[in-house]
Amino acid sequence: MNIDPILLSVYARTFKSITDEMSISMEKTTRSPILCEAKDYVTGLYDAEGRMLEQTENLPILAFSLAPVCKYIIKYFGDDIHPGDVIFHNDVFSLGNQNNDVAVYVPVFHDGKLVAWTAVKGHQADIGGAVRGGYNPNAVEVWQEGLRIPPVKIYDKGKLRKDVWDLIFANIRLDIVQHDMKAEIGACKVGERRMLELIKKYGMESFEAHKLALFEATRKMMEAEIEKIPNGVYSGEGSVYYDGRHEGSKFKIRVTITVEDRHIKFDYTATDPRTDGFVNGTFTSSASATILTLLQMVNPDIPHNEGMVEPVEIVIPEGTILNAGYPKATTFGNHLCPPNADAIQRALAPVMPDRVTAGWNNLLCSLTTGTDPEKNEPYVDIGFMGLKGGSGAMQGTDGYDHIGMIDASGGVLDQDYEMFEQQTPHRLLRHEYITDSAGPGQWRGGLGVETIFEIGSEDTQVVTFGDGDFEPAFGLFGGGDGTLNFIRLKFPDGREVTPKNKDLLVGVPKGTIYHQQAGGGGGYGDPKQRDRALVREEVRNGVVSDKAAREKYGLKD
Amino acid sequence: MTLKIGIDVGGTFTDFIVTRDGAEPVISKTLSTPADPSIAVVEGLTDIAASQTPAQTLEQFAPTIDTIVHGTTVATNAVLTRTGAKSGLITTRGVRDALEMRRGIREEQYNNRYTNVVPLVPRRLRAGVAGRLDRAGREVEALSLTDVRSAIDIFRKEGVEAVSICFMNAFANPAHERAAAELVKKELPDAYLTVSTDLLPSIRFYERVSTTALNSYVGPKLNRYLDQLVGRLKSVGFRGVLLIMQSNGGVVTPQIAREQAALTLLSGPAGGPGAGLHYAGAHGQDKAITVDMGGTSFEASVAVGTPMLVTEGEIDRLKTALPMLDIHTIGAGGGSIGWIDEGGLLRMGPASAGADPGPACYGKGGELPTTTDANVVLGYLDPGYFAGGRMKLDPDAARRAIGTHIAKPMGFTVEDAAAGMYRVVCNNMAQGVREVTIKRGFDPREFPMIAAGGAGPIHSCLICAELEIPLQIVPRESSVLCAFGMLLSDLKHDFVRTFVARLENMSWARLGVLVDEMAAEGARLLEEEGVPKARRGGIVKLDCRYIKQYHEVSFTVPEDAIKRRDEQAIAQAFHAEHERLFGYALAEEGTPVEIINVRVQAIGATDRPRPRTEPWGGEDAAHALKGRRSMYIPEKKAFEPVPVYDGHALRHGNRITGPAMIEEVTTAVFVSAAYDLAVDALGSFAVYRKGREDLVRMRAEEAVA
Repeated sequence: MNIDPILLSVYARTFKSITDEMSISMEKTTRSPILCEAKDYVTGLYDAEGRMLEQTENLPILAFSLAPVCKYIIKYFGDDIHPGDVIFHNDVFSLGNQNNDVAVYVPVFHDGKLVAWTAVKGHQADIGGAVRGGYNPNAVEVWQEGLRIPPVKIYDKGKLRKDVWDLIFANIRLDIVQHDMKAEIGACKVGERRMLELIKKYGMESFEAHKLALFEATRKMMEAEIEKIPNGVYSGEGSVYYDGRHEGSKFKIRVTITVEDRHIKFDYTATDPRTDGFVNGTFTSSASATILTLLQMVNPDIPHNEGMVEPVEIVIPEGTILNAGYPKATTFGNHLCPPNADAIQRALAPVMPDRVTAGWNNLLCSLTTGTDPEKNEPYVDIGFMGLKGGSGAMQGTDGYDHIGMIDASGGVLDQDYEMFEQQTPHRLLRHEYITDSAGPGQWRGGLGVETIFEIGSEDTQVVTFGDGDFEPAFGLFGGGDGTLNFIRLKFPDGREVTPKNKDLLVGVPKGTIYHQQAGGGGGYGDPKQRDRALVREEVRNGVVSDKAAREKYGLKD
Repeated sequence: MTLKIGIDVGGTFTDFIVTRDGAEPVISKTLSTPADPSIAVVEGLTDIAASQTPAQTLEQFAPTIDTIVHGTTVATNAVLTRTGAKSGLITTRGVRDALEMRRGIREEQYNNRYTNVVPLVPRRLRAGVAGRLDRAGREVEALSLTDVRSAIDIFRKEGVEAVSICFMNAFANPAHERAAAELVKKELPDAYLTVSTDLLPSIRFYERVSTTALNSYVGPKLNRYLDQLVGRLKSVGFRGVLLIMQSNGGVVTPQIAREQAALTLLSGPAGGPGAGLHYAGAHGQDKAITVDMGGTSFEASVAVGTPMLVTEGEIDRLKTALPMLDIHTIGAGGGSIGWIDEGGLLRMGPASAGADPGPACYGKGGELPTTTDANVVLGYLDPGYFAGGRMKLDPDAARRAIGTHIAKPMGFTVEDAAAGMYRVVCNNMAQGVREVTIKRGFDPREFPMIAAGGAGPIHSCLICAELEIPLQIVPRESSVLCAFGMLLSDLKHDFVRTFVARLENMSWARLGVLVDEMAAEGARLLEEEGVPKARRGGIVKLDCRYIKQYHEVSFTVPEDAIKRRDEQAIAQAFHAEHERLFGYALAEEGTPVEIINVRVQAIGATDRPRPRTEPWGGEDAAHALKGRRSMYIPEKKAFEPVPVYDGHALRHGNRITGPAMIEEVTTAVFVSAAYDLAVDALGSFAVYRKGREDLVRMRAEEAVA
């Protein structure tokens, strides 16, 4: 069949519109804040063979989290896939990315033939396991983290398998998860309806032919980007500090990137072995980190379909920290994205100096829980405003201030200060940019922030998780490093406590001063080459000190 | 006979619509004068005076005008071009960067070259001062007037023209803000001052500080403009009422616009949605999707009973929490440039050739192919009758641009390339409309579409076909829809108070006091504006959420429910709106409902122009037939001779079978093969899917005749 190039544009725009509409459906119908507020979900369309047609991911770390499983499910069920089936999946040992990310896959049938799939995956508020919410720093095996759901039909030919439903939700603490999984099914049905409308409108033959042409067009775009990188073998590394079990432990992520004309291979074979704790990745979460880092280096316009990933090969051997393998704990997996991105940026910097960024601030996060004494009500606060440091600078562009870790890239917002004080008993004393936190450079890193608040409840629990308190975001080509992360608590009795980067403190008293810094991003190029007017402006604005202006930037007057 | 004039200043043209009760509105346009937009206003009025019979001078004509309603883009442009006032901010110590941080968002997550917005107040002019209120408004630390004075000293030295004051938790107690304001007024009497709790006493610090800073930033410029405008109008003898269009779809007196300049940030397009409802009303519908396609952008909005409001609006990535109409803009317009991406796919926009150099066919040096160029090649635009013949288009230039940049690289004929561009841009607009409606919980198929803007009605059939919308209405005033909508707008004043409480155990007395307070303030303003009691009204809204949710749903409180202390009625109204928007409610679970804000809108009804009653002109439209022209028929993917009608000659009742082209001086309406057209009682062109005459209401008593 002939390809109508105009119709091709219409298909592309319509696929995008469908995954966007599925995404809106999720936003409107889910109830857990991590879904409807933080939008930690992804919606996608696949063809009958499980090839990605389009997706809308709200956080970049989800860029590749849905795709590998579709093909797995097709293989798993073989010819036992029927109209009306609905399939659940989260299992990290069959290509899931994270235990809490539970996916729904719905096959789309036209004239009795399987023609496509719609899928949604969202971070669920609870998935069973030892600890509510799924974040268990003491876990060593998957069963302490959550319920495993390998591909399972929750609807069989249109009929709800109530026994299976009940089995699953008997193992999950919160009722809201049942509701939110129904919302995922609903969003898949929205996608199914629109896919069928589209196929009816243009016919199966047209759909099949244009789909392939679209993959082809996207592949060409991606290949054109890869061709700009000189052929060769490049390597880089990033570091992970502390596995939550052995103080002083350190692990290396090592990537070897081979570029050969229009093909790029990321090989992590030299990466350190898995830890015996929960600081481990899954293949899919690690590959997703690779893809999102690459996507930030190429034309941001490239459609997210199968063609995008065809020229990209990712090798992550089982048993490494990025792909721990059965039956290890992996909850920290998504947070291995920053050092993974560091390794890639460092490897490609010499040959893509105009596309890479200097190091991004790695996240260090906290969660405070307790009882509000005025309201006598429990509260939970995820310290979003405190965890977001600066991004790395790139050639021609300063880093982005207070953007947060690269896996979200500005997709997660601060709590509003006044809402924070309504919803917790804490009082915010400071949330401001940190002077001289940005790595200096011809283009400077993004600024980090300082957060200080007074804890307003007795017997408060403070959980920390993250990194970036041992090694700062690195500078590139003469640019300086950013500053380090820290969290410190000053108790009313004057005692100072510095929790480890994966820690749990209980009994923190009212009146304790919580003090956190999220560091700046790395700078790019010689700071002495920075536009003098800009340096002076930043001195006047107090984000660069006089001292740093003289010593780092070499400002004379 | 009341003479009212609506004036909408746009980037390229300033639109005028002159109405007299019962008479056909007269439309005119004049070139805008961006340096001082009031010049174009006077020029346009001079032209209108001259076109009266007998011709008048402006000095003769101006005293006869009863009302001028004016939409201005002065505030909007000050923000977009960053040419507003040099501003300073006094805020609570420790949070002065909130304005710049914007809660740490980067809108384009994969684009590392995407930079943050330049803040409206530079960091050195953002002063944190000691003084603190807690979440209930109780003083924790006294305000340091010494700190405030230091800030003032810096502002004075730096030549600051406008000052904003916004303190933590001031929504719960404005005392610190007021004390600081007193000092600023005394020390910097000439500075334009915005106090956050005067403008927007509601919770959410970032939204409030951003809105406050926006107000200060645009205030001085808007004031200077209003001085010029009022001065010029006065000097030519205008003695009537001047009203300014606000972002919320209502109008205000210039005095209020001066103080709350940020109310005009969406002044230009805010007339559209209300006008859309008016035209839909002629077909018995109380809802409409209104779309307006201009040179660079395509705006879509939804109205059900009344235009939809949002309290989380944005301008140029800056938040404003003042209520504004929910108008969604995408980068698609007559000037949208066609291009081929790296994968070989045809794309349209968002880059635009704008008005200068404009589309290639304008012959002003533009060489890139645009939507308008495609429309010329497809025969939709008559090169000799663009803007009624005032502007000649160059079809060869259009063909050249499309040939070089689209047809040749894709291996197409110029005609096929133009058809492709047309289809892609229509598809973009259709998907844009779909998103606005479904985000609001509406199904686009259930709405009539009102197509406005000079270029809108050429594309609306394909947009409607894509969305399965069976009825579209093209008003006679399509090209000046916003100006006309302004004349239909009432005086509207919005008030808000934060009142955090559980619905089940809140203080009714406190709620009553807040509502009464706001109603009294509204009454005072309407009194000042000379609105008699009988024409005043108001609505009360609550912003509520289920406990532990993050966002509120704003809904209208059933009349008297607060007086009757009817908790049930309020809860039900909330559940119903939540259900409509999000597809579920938690009424049965008994989840507690939390109130966050109380709002009052005070409304003063204005005199609306009385719609004319078009005399029945019979079904035959032959008298208006101008000729035939070859045009592209999307349904047939081929060119065909298509009858061309003079829109100005068409009369109520006339029917035309598609495909057809209707030309007016400022608009062209393309009726594609799947649609027919009828002229309705307001003189609008009702374009309906073949066979769906049932949707068109032609006024029964006249239809018989």
